[in-house]
Amino acid sequence: MLSQHLVILPILVPLFAALLQLLPWGENPQYYRRIIGLVSCVILVAISAGVLIASTEGPQVYALGSWQAPYGIVLVADRLSALMVLLTAILALPVLIYACYGEDNLGSHFQALFQFQLVGIIGAFLTGDLFNLFVFFEILLISSYALLMHGGGKLKLRACLHYVLLNLTGSAVFLISLGVLYGITGTLNMADMAVKVAALTGDDAIIARAGGVLLLVVFGLKAALLPLYFWLPQAYAMTTGTVAALFAIMTKVGIYAILRVFTLIFGAGGAEAAMLGYDWLWWLGLATLALGSIGAIGSRDMRLVVSYLVVISVGTMLTTFSMGNERATSAVIYYLVHSTLVTGALFLLVDIIARQRGKTASRIVKGRKLAQHAVLGMLFLVSAITVIGMPPLSGFIGKLFILEAARTGAQLALLWPLVLVSSFLVMVALARAGSRMFWHTFEGKAAEEKSPAGQIAAIALLLTGAVVMTLFARPISSYTDAIAADLMHPQTYISTVLNQSGGAHE
Amino acid sequence: METLYAVTVGVLTACSVFLILRGRSFPIVIGITMLSYAVNLFLFSSGRLAIDQLPLIGHSETYTDPLPQALVLTAIVIGFAMTAYSIILAVRVRGEIGSDEVNEPDHSDSEGSR
Amino acid sequence: MNLAAIVLLPFFGALLPLMLRHKTRIWITSSAALVTLASLTLLLLSAPETLGGGIPTLMVPWLPDLGLHFAMRLDGLSLLFAGLILGIGILIVIYAHYYLSSRDDSPRFFAYLLLFMGSMLGIVTADNLILMWLFWELTSISSFLLIGYWFQQSNARRGARMALAVTGGGGLALLAGILLIGNIAGSYQLDAVFAAADQIREHEFYLPALLLVLLGAFTKSAQFPFQFWLPHAMAAPTPVSAYLHSATMVKAGIFLMARLFPVLGGTPEWFIIVTLTGLATLLFGAYFALLKTDLKGLLAFSTISHLGLITMLLGLGSRGALLAAIFHILNHATFKAGLFMIAGIIDHETGSRDMRKLSGLRKAMPFTMVLAVITSAAMAGLPLFNGFLSKEMFFTESYQQDLFGGLSWLVPVLATLGGMLSVAYSIRFVHDVFFQEPAKDLPKEPHEPPLMMRAPVIVLASLCILVGVAPMLMVSGLLEPALAAVSGAAGQIDIAIWHGFNIPLLMSAFAIAGGIAIYIGRDELFTFNRQFDHHDAKEIFASVVKRTTTLSDALMLRIETGSLQRYIAALLVISLVFVIPELVKIKALTGDRPQLPVDFISMIGAVALILAAFGTAIFHRQRLTSLMMLSVVGLLVSLVFIRFSAADLAMTQLVVEVVSILLMILALFFMPQRIPRASSGRRVARDVLLAGFVGGIVGTLNYALLTRPANTISDFFLANSVPGGGGTNVVNVILVDFRGFDTLGEITVLAIAAAGIHKLLNNLRPFMPSSDVDGRPWHSTTHPLLVQVVAQTILSLALMVSVYIFLRGHNLPGGGFIAGLVTAAAMILQYMANGVDWVKNRFDYNYQTLTSVGVMIAFFTGIGSWVFNHNYLTSAFTYVEWPIVGKFELATAILFDLGVYLTVIGATLMILANFGQMTTRHRPRQEGH
Repeated sequence: MLSQHLVILPILVPLFAALLQLLPWGENPQYYRRIIGLVSCVILVAISAGVLIASTEGPQVYALGSWQAPYGIVLVADRLSALMVLLTAILALPVLIYACYGEDNLGSHFQALFQFQLVGIIGAFLTGDLFNLFVFFEILLISSYALLMHGGGKLKLRACLHYVLLNLTGSAVFLISLGVLYGITGTLNMADMAVKVAALTGDDAIIARAGGVLLLVVFGLKAALLPLYFWLPQAYAMTTGTVAALFAIMTKVGIYAILRVFTLIFGAGGAEAAMLGYDWLWWLGLATLALGSIGAIGSRDMRLVVSYLVVISVGTMLTTFSMGNERATSAVIYYLVHSTLVTGALFLLVDIIARQRGKTASRIVKGRKLAQHAVLGMLFLVSAITVIGMPPLSGFIGKLFILEAARTGAQLALLWPLVLVSSFLVMVALARAGSRMFWHTFEGKAAEEKSPAGQIAAIALLLTGAVVMTLFARPISSYTDAIAADLMHPQTYISTVLNQSGGAHE
Repeated sequence: METLYAVTVGVLTACSVFLILRGRSFPIVIGITMLSYAVNLFLFSSGRLAIDQLPLIGHSETYTDPLPQALVLTAIVIGFAMTAYSIILAVRVRGEIGSDEVNEPDHSDSEGSR
Repeated sequence: MNLAAIVLLPFFGALLPLMLRHKTRIWITSSAALVTLASLTLLLLSAPETLGGGIPTLMVPWLPDLGLHFAMRLDGLSLLFAGLILGIGILIVIYAHYYLSSRDDSPRFFAYLLLFMGSMLGIVTADNLILMWLFWELTSISSFLLIGYWFQQSNARRGARMALAVTGGGGLALLAGILLIGNIAGSYQLDAVFAAADQIREHEFYLPALLLVLLGAFTKSAQFPFQFWLPHAMAAPTPVSAYLHSATMVKAGIFLMARLFPVLGGTPEWFIIVTLTGLATLLFGAYFALLKTDLKGLLAFSTISHLGLITMLLGLGSRGALLAAIFHILNHATFKAGLFMIAGIIDHETGSRDMRKLSGLRKAMPFTMVLAVITSAAMAGLPLFNGFLSKEMFFTESYQQDLFGGLSWLVPVLATLGGMLSVAYSIRFVHDVFFQEPAKDLPKEPHEPPLMMRAPVIVLASLCILVGVAPMLMVSGLLEPALAAVSGAAGQIDIAIWHGFNIPLLMSAFAIAGGIAIYIGRDELFTFNRQFDHHDAKEIFASVVKRTTTLSDALMLRIETGSLQRYIAALLVISLVFVIPELVKIKALTGDRPQLPVDFISMIGAVALILAAFGTAIFHRQRLTSLMMLSVVGLLVSLVFIRFSAADLAMTQLVVEVVSILLMILALFFMPQRIPRASSGRRVARDVLLAGFVGGIVGTLNYALLTRPANTISDFFLANSVPGGGGTNVVNVILVDFRGFDTLGEITVLAIAAAGIHKLLNNLRPFMPSSDVDGRPWHSTTHPLLVQVVAQTILSLALMVSVYIFLRGHNLPGGGFIAGLVTAAAMILQYMANGVDWVKNRFDYNYQTLTSVGVMIAFFTGIGSWVFNHNYLTSAFTYVEWPIVGKFELATAILFDLGVYLTVIGATLMILANFGQMTTRHRPRQEGH
């Protein structure tokens, strides 16, 4: 019975878990809540894998309330969505395991909010309806607001306030663009809107374009694209490691939304609204990449360095995507998976390091010797190599794909130098950080308390992703190629969504 | 009428934007709330303006577009949740930092965190 | 397969020493040695085929999309280098065993060393350019670890970071170059690239590709001006230096040039750049080698100089030059490795490497002296030592070339000068250390090292002589295929010791004589040199990094000012920048939809609304006033909704209005009532401008839409609301049925908000004024009787009303949400009127549970439809005849709406009640532990 509802399960499972966790659980509730959370995450991994397998036979459409598109809300799990959902699940499990070693006790409701966060993210990946996307954005935002405050502390308060108010303004922009798009196309279903927009001409098309670029702003804000990324570094650097690690997927939601909407609705098939905003993405992406690199080399705190690594990855992906060819899109998706896993791992790793170094925390200065110097150093080396894009781990493959995707002279002349120089800067920055934190230690005995093996295992688990992506680069890249093909030729997507039957109401 | 409506929405938006650009949390929250009003009006009007056409079956022969109304209803509720959260966050900031300024008075100390 | 094993063995073998961590050191060393030996044996097994002129290859597809394959080849060049890497490698391992003290973490050392060895082998045997680059970067990483092995020492850390920055950076340039080449050739497989050689040389991207590749090579091989990192790699343990400087690392760049010579070489650009760089490096290195007082320093700069020599030969590019280059690679590796080991021995046995301290060691260490003499003689290029032969060939080439036209004579002259210097520093190495008066005050009493520590040097020294005496016998077999690989043409070679009296011999003579002269007059040279102040590259590098950091930091602080206004302004401005270019393209803003006439009431309402809005903005410093104005705005908005036939919206807007204003008033209690200072005029002007723009754009868009005919999907909803959804209130049917999923999400948001706010309020000590702004204390009677009575009557009333609103919701304006808020509002009134304790005593619900249960009801209403094998949230409804009531509808939608109702009550009260309790003893605490 469940198989026919497979597509919606990734949303329902964490939602139910969260609701359960909100109930009072007597004397020692955290114990039960942890179990619920972990179970939910394990199930999530399993069913996401199921969705991924199902999606290979074409987009899986699920009509809610049995109202067929475009009238009802539909969930669509095509290859891209399925991959994003699976990625979320794969990231969530280790992060939650890590959190269950006490981080979740730093403030109330962590477990529930964590699940709610997943609901929002996964819903955003799965929904095929623009307004429903807004709703899920709000779900993931409100949970992120709350999670960002996890652990308290004066320092993060302002960063959090900025994040909240900025995103509230962003939501307003989202609603306006929805108003414009509905007003001009008269529909909310993305596939249907693609058809309607392609049919628009003259002023109507222009108005639709106006609505489209506003969407680009909103997604750019989520993705942290210049000049909308300013909120990110401080916010990510201030919050706890687990939350930051979970947020590794948050910017990707923005990237996903851009990939989806600006290939499906405003892509090549958009008639008078075709290829909307690609030029903007190219230039802003490059600028983001440049600024992110400068930020990384300029940071005096390891958390901040990692935050800027996130910014760099965003710039890289959007610039590459804006080149608009299939190779580029495929490269973006490969890189997206890689960077999500490795930044997640880095945030956790820095968190452990900071704890073991005591009061120097994650600042890049001479400090106390780590309790688990060897193993942490190893993990740091691996993740650094991966994130810089040095061989032999997934980073360099992703980078090669991106460099290879640049075709025209102009693209070569701008993308290659920026990407390579930024890798160089990141390399210098991380070498500096690593040598300060692992080599340049005070004499005398190391920190006492070791971190639980489970937390280190969680990090290692995330990093194995990098190894897997290297060893199985070939099948993975062919999968991303398929995704890119889907995105570049959305006809199948559109027809599948619009032609499926609602069921009950016929 | 359409002109009047558009002007009103524009003015509402402008005023709330001005408030949002203030330096202290309370006016900003007020601004955000008012902005949500403006935005709701905008979204609502995406179904165009119609008088005495309540979308109640049997109530009249022609009906206004019900969908935007439903959307706005959802938007209002979500907006309420967001407003509530932001205002209480503002109170917390005020409580812990002692000031309701959204920016640090000077950024000299922010270097420490970099 | 064999080939792969040669390369991969060291990588996996690197684990052995780590696994044997707990065994004795001899175990650990032998494990490393064993791995090296195994790899060497495999190499020797495949050697015959190569020497026979064949090229064993291996091809395992990896990433076809990238043209990246695990492809290996073992041509002459690869064999030569692989032999060096492994042959010297094994000696290094043995030597290191005696060099490292028991305090050093030798497993880590050997693990790094093997990693490095494997990477080097990968470079020289790769048959795919990208694969080669992969190993290239691996050497950067592993050498970083090796140089930083003694990471407690700051110069080790810095040296390592510098080496990584320079070589790793060069590697990135190399990558770009390789990609260019590959794009031209259409493949990264070496054979394909070689085949496309002419095509590449004629391509417009040839020069960029060449420059990028050379950048990689020069940085790796420490060519001028990138030589500065090499001397600081000295911070590594001597075995590492010996390895890095002789057979590996620095030779990688040379190898790259030799490897790509058939593709990139032979052009004027190549000749000019490579030759001159080589020449400059040769002289630079030789000069500074002479000035160094540190043994290893001297050797380091001599390495630089010899690399320059080889580079120059590759630049000249004639067949003879290439042969000389390859030959000198071999010779330099042998004697330089030996010399470093000797330096290490001296350091090890005397505790000093400073030539100003060391002297007269010949008595204490005669045996070592002999070895030193032999190897230095080879380095100086004295006859009957291998160095002589290649040096002689070098002179011949430099003399025979005429590529600089009238100035060609400069080349041999400068070459001879380089020769002199190298003779001079070779003499210095021997004479200063082993002759003159025996040194006093050495940290240790000098004595001969253990035999096994000398053994590697003995091997190398004897090689120097054997090759020097019988070159053809010893190495011709090795050199021929290597030359074939580089020059691309097989053929006999002939290396003779004696060519008769000719110019090159004369040059050698000059070199030796001049060298002796320079050595004798060295003190003048030192004093002359002292007048230039020498910067330490480490310091410069460190300061550069530091400055970059500070600058970037400053820049980022300038951009990310941490000012929320800036960020929001950025958001708005970028929106404008995006939208305006589109809007200007619109030809007719007004569409052709018939417009409604303006009536008086609407006019009044609009004006009032506008005024209220302005009021809210203008009086934002008198907060209460501003708030009141806002409430007026909200009220009028709900009237607008009524005017334009949206009853549900009006009601919702109204109740939300009430509750949120309530919330804000509560909040205002904790906020400063008035803002002391106003913001500057300029800023106000700026904000007004921006606000005006945004408002204008939004208004424009709105107008454009309103005046255009609409064509939406809503007819479907109107048509199916009753038959499909079982309700006449289409809006409500959409909410609970057509788009019920949105509503589920909406109440989820409410629930999350409630939880988040509860989290926010945990253990929060809010700022609490004891009196109002004007210093009047609050009124003492908190709960006036009148209010209490009213409140309680209202409560019962409100509950009835809400039930009514709820039930009719499906068919008439109303529904769960509105009903919920009404109830909640009434409850809030109780709190305000009677105080928390009073409420707690009467209805003591856990609002959090209520919220959760509410959402769950909605959630399971959705699940319920699975039982009937329908999709999530599929509604069902039926009409039942009730005795009195008559026809009554039962719809799952009602159940769903009940969930909404409960959630709204729970969430709202959770928010408001908790918040209201901030001032009481019921302040929320973190639950759970």
